[in-house]
Amino acid sequence: MRIVGILLVLAGWLIPVVGIAITQSRAARFVLVLLGIAVTLFGIVGVLNKAHLKNAIWKV
Amino acid sequence: MRSRVRMTTCCLWAAICLLLLCGFPALGLAQSASSTQAAAAKPAPAPAPAMDAPLDVKAAQPPSTDDLAAKGDPGGTSTGTVSDVVVSDSKKGLTLADVVNQVGQNRIGINFTWTLITGFLVMFMQAGFAIVETGLCRAKNANHTMMMNFMVYGFGLFAFWVCGFAIQMGGGAPYATLGGIYPLNSEHVVTFLGKPWGLFGTHGFFLSGASYDVGVMVLFLFQMVFMDTALTIVTGSCAERWKYVAFAVSSIFMGAITYPLFANWAWGGGWLSQLGGNFGLGHGYCDFAGSGVVHAVGGITALALSMIIGPRIGKYNRNGTPNAMPGHDLLVVLTGCFILAFGWFGFNPGSTLGASGNGALRIGSIAVNTMLAGCTGSFGAILYMWIRYGKPDASMTGNGLLAGLVAITAPSGFVNTVGSAIIGLVAGVLVCISVEYIERVLKVDDPVGAISVHGVNGIWGVISVGLFADGASNYGGSWNGVSGSVRGLFYGDASQLIAQLIGVGTLIGVIFAISYVAGWVMDVIIGQRVSAEDELEGLDIPEMGALCYPEFALQHQGVAPSGGMAAD
Repeated sequence: MRIVGILLVLAGWLIPVVGIAITQSRAARFVLVLLGIAVTLFGIVGVLNKAHLKNAIWKV
Repeated sequence: MRSRVRMTTCCLWAAICLLLLCGFPALGLAQSASSTQAAAAKPAPAPAPAMDAPLDVKAAQPPSTDDLAAKGDPGGTSTGTVSDVVVSDSKKGLTLADVVNQVGQNRIGINFTWTLITGFLVMFMQAGFAIVETGLCRAKNANHTMMMNFMVYGFGLFAFWVCGFAIQMGGGAPYATLGGIYPLNSEHVVTFLGKPWGLFGTHGFFLSGASYDVGVMVLFLFQMVFMDTALTIVTGSCAERWKYVAFAVSSIFMGAITYPLFANWAWGGGWLSQLGGNFGLGHGYCDFAGSGVVHAVGGITALALSMIIGPRIGKYNRNGTPNAMPGHDLLVVLTGCFILAFGWFGFNPGSTLGASGNGALRIGSIAVNTMLAGCTGSFGAILYMWIRYGKPDASMTGNGLLAGLVAITAPSGFVNTVGSAIIGLVAGVLVCISVEYIERVLKVDDPVGAISVHGVNGIWGVISVGLFADGASNYGGSWNGVSGSVRGLFYGDASQLIAQLIGVGTLIGVIFAISYVAGWVMDVIIGQRVSAEDELEGLDIPEMGALCYPEFALQHQGVAPSGGMAAD
């Protein structure tokens, strides 16, 4: 799960980076940047942090 | 009566003569008629004075040395005159070249002095961070927390000298305010998607070779204390359960790799700073003094490591509800906040890297913006806590002040006072909401609120440049190589906001990923967390070998400091 989370985090960064090269449209770039940030946050909060909480010290 | 008429007539004639002499040429009436005559009458331009010709020093009225020797200069009117201009050739005496060179060196001297002194102020912030973090931790871990803050300075400095500075600034030249710094002129660039992407600098390792340069030294000192600020953020969020050896390795890695990489992309001529020139996104990623480069990098690394290390024992109940674990000394916490606020006057105004030329006089408004945002940040936090919990919480008010200062760090050079007040106020409320969210929803334990103060508000500061930059500041004609002033969304440039958001995406994407993977590898090899026994006992003895407050421990055991039995 951790590796999936890290891959999602990096994929979220790549979306806007590639996006600004393939489109000149300001609105499209804006949407792609927000999408990338959302994917990265999902990778951190939804996947990585969940993986850590599964075996959290206070659950033992 | 007759004399009055004669006087009036004289005045009239005088007025007519004046009009003839001055008025017609001014009105342009005589221009066409006498253009050739005027050209002929115009005196030839004086030949430029020879730069190496001796100047008439007597004309500048140098003070008499005999007078100075006899009377001194109590009024300060005879000190710092033509006599003090450095002469390059004593045989020739003072020349125009000497005067001009002196003017240039004075400007760079002012900028060196400004940058160094503000760097010293930022260095003093380490003391503020140390006591804020130690005060917010429990007394049984005070020595451990203090020693992390103390040694992060040494570990970070060493790593930055070895390679961090070269990676960050090795391709950053020229820096006009510091005399050019031309030795730092090599950036490793790759071509991707048809554009050049600067990734890291390659000059300046160990400050050796051509980097043995006065300007490079000034820049190194200033950038080094910034880097150390980022490192010390992590010690707060991981406090009270972090192995000291893991902290040492982690700090060296961050000072050598993680921080310099992002700093290069933003400040060293790297790809984020070139988003304007390469992709037409405003002025590229703009971060005046480091909300993103310093604070968000520190805060995001803190989040990654806090997730790996896990919460302190006793922080969460079995059902996941959090317990309050108050710090042991609010006095030092709030004193530390004041020290940090003082140091911030080095952090933000010092980031002009000069006080003379290239728009550096804007240091006045940068200092006021810094002051205002800190003020409204503490307002926001105290009001939020007062309304929500019925009491003005001291530690959150301190965090509100710091949050406002963190948030204004990136925009301080680009916004007006109204913008800075709003940015600070939002930061003060945001830090309270964020602390609650991270503690209760994410269940990530952050004893001092570093992730919220520095990470979340660092990101808010980066975004606020893209919203509030008012287009009124124009350092040296351009920023990141794009001419004109930086404007945010509210002042007509939406593309600047996109550049800022790409910076945010890079912070939470790349910097988080690097920090997380490095922390994970260290966890596997050396282990990040102390044993449960050590944690429950307090880390002062198991990790450091000495208590911070030995008398308190003796009293707790029933023995008074003097050796007698303590009263119950």
